[in-house]
Amino acid sequence: MSDHRAAANPFHLLQLLREPGRVRDLQLSDWDALIRLARRARLLGVLAHRIQSRAEHLAVVPDCVRGHLDSAIVYSAYRVHLLRMELAALDRVLPADVRVAVLKGGAYILQDLATARGRLPNDVDLLVGRDDLRRSEAALLAAGWEAQAVDDYADRYYREWSHELPPLRFPEHPMEVDLHHTISPVTGRLRPDRALLFAGLQEVAGQRFLVLHPLDQILHAVIHLFQDSELVDNLRDLVDIDSLLRTHLQSTEDWLALATRAGRHGVERPLWYALHYCHRWLATPVPDGLPLSPPPIAMMRLMDWLYPRCTLPRLPDRPPTIGRRVAVRLGLARYQWLRMPPGLLLRHLGHKSVQAVRWRPAAQRGAD
Amino acid sequence: MTAEPLRLRNLSPVILRQRLASASLALDYGAAVVRVGSDLGGFVTDLQRVYGAFALVDAAFADFHTQVRRGRGVRAYLRPQSRFLIDGVQPFDPFPQEQALAHFEWGVNWCFAQRFNQHVLLHAGALALADRGIIMAAPPGSGKSTLTAAMMLRGFRLLSDEFGVLCPRSGQLWPMLKPLALKNRSIDIIRDYAEEVILGPVYRGTRKGDVAHLAPGEGSVDARRLPARPQLVIFPSFREGATLSLRRLPAEQAFANLAFNSFNYELLGATSFNAVADVIENCPAFALEYSRLDDAIEAVRSLLADSTAARNGA
Repeated sequence: MSDHRAAANPFHLLQLLREPGRVRDLQLSDWDALIRLARRARLLGVLAHRIQSRAEHLAVVPDCVRGHLDSAIVYSAYRVHLLRMELAALDRVLPADVRVAVLKGGAYILQDLATARGRLPNDVDLLVGRDDLRRSEAALLAAGWEAQAVDDYADRYYREWSHELPPLRFPEHPMEVDLHHTISPVTGRLRPDRALLFAGLQEVAGQRFLVLHPLDQILHAVIHLFQDSELVDNLRDLVDIDSLLRTHLQSTEDWLALATRAGRHGVERPLWYALHYCHRWLATPVPDGLPLSPPPIAMMRLMDWLYPRCTLPRLPDRPPTIGRRVAVRLGLARYQWLRMPPGLLLRHLGHKSVQAVRWRPAAQRGAD
Repeated sequence: MTAEPLRLRNLSPVILRQRLASASLALDYGAAVVRVGSDLGGFVTDLQRVYGAFALVDAAFADFHTQVRRGRGVRAYLRPQSRFLIDGVQPFDPFPQEQALAHFEWGVNWCFAQRFNQHVLLHAGALALADRGIIMAAPPGSGKSTLTAAMMLRGFRLLSDEFGVLCPRSGQLWPMLKPLALKNRSIDIIRDYAEEVILGPVYRGTRKGDVAHLAPGEGSVDARRLPARPQLVIFPSFREGATLSLRRLPAEQAFANLAFNSFNYELLGATSFNAVADVIENCPAFALEYSRLDDAIEAVRSLLADSTAARNGA
């Protein structure tokens, strides 16, 4: 019997995402680990779509594996359906004169991008101008959406230091709504040019909702991953970026325009990291010589050590290595550092640590 | 298949314990293979009893990777608990440790209902004679599990008691052959119903009352990879003292009863509509009220024969 744990290598998953034709080289025991890794990374539906796109790929997939691919596609289609229903409900109650853009997964679906295929949308992310924020929130609350329970501190955190309101949900609706007024935390080190962002909004044929300019759509995904996340377990976000790059950029001029736009938004560094890992892991055709300055060597080395350990999926059969645990801590520290100026960060961490040592019953802490 | 498989009941408990300790025991339910690991001795004993007829399989691929582990912290000493994990995640609260098997059964059902959306998962039992399938659908408390158990003990092949696994591609029913969970009074009824009844321990006071698991027989286990074509739909209900009655249900009512009780009808959309509609179009559906198991079983047997004759004649 082959050892079913031997093949738990996340680079096999990356390879299969790049080249779905590799299915012909896989043994049943390889699939055992791959399906689990893909599911853990929330990429099973995406992988399934890529494999099913060609009949000759699908023909060599064993029946038991095919079942998981079919199931993931069905589930993704269901989530897409739920998202469309939520958007339709929002369309009815948001004031008609407010310009509302859909961000991330919802936009990929409205635009029918390849990026949406097999993806699992989590919630609905909307963007409105800062002046329209209160009015939009009030309209949703009046129509029955409810703010999800957050304590006073978290509420203030959202409203003053974040780029979105506390999540809203209509009772019984499976999808939460996040109302944003910009695309990165207002206290963060990098602040995209909001005027440029709003001026670039685009219409989608037959839709009330707008979407970001294609270059901003890429940069938003980049900021979200490399500026506004803990880097942990989010390979999916890198796969999104790879797909958006391939979809929106056709020529060298397009790539140069992306670099230029990143400069205007002040987010060249996150873009450099995104292109670096997209190229390395997903073979994204990034042209040489883009005008983006690389990070200092030491920083690059640190990220090359940190990022794979944080973000690549792993199987839970063995406890995480020390390296992984340290990397996850550092990823969190980096996130906090990028998100807030030092004074505010100290205050925020102080509040969190006071909360952490307060006694809570074991049942509330839940499983690890 | 000619060679007699090595069954779990013939395995030395030491070997079985080692297999579970290294999480290399695979249970083949037919529609799904579940790999399980455990460090709980009591769980191993109970598992060997109700899974006794199951074959020891070397599965290169498992659909679910589960663990049944002892509770942690101070509580582990005060009030021992079992935790169920799927891919390292614990989807629900721990159980008292002596109920670990019931916890595991519940956990596998949960995994299956969450993740097997390639099939329409009817909330129904399924039995068969050879490849002629019977769907048994009814709300909890209507005596469906009791009748299903009795039918298995009288020579029907059990496919499943919880899930009617309907493959939308082939229109066939897949076995999801798990130990059959009997509740409250039906435990004693089934214990006394036949000679060769193998029941697991009775778990008192679970959230579904008293529960005991009936071990599937060898005939059902050895046919776990053989799907059946649906041929008859039965909505059974037990009523004390009732004389047997059968009522043919109009198609639209049978469709609604079957479809709207499935676990993932909404999720599959048009696919599940078509799959259930095909079943109803091809199978007569009956409401069956009974008080005596033997009468009910004979009625089902002759309905299946009629349905087969009608189909062959057509």
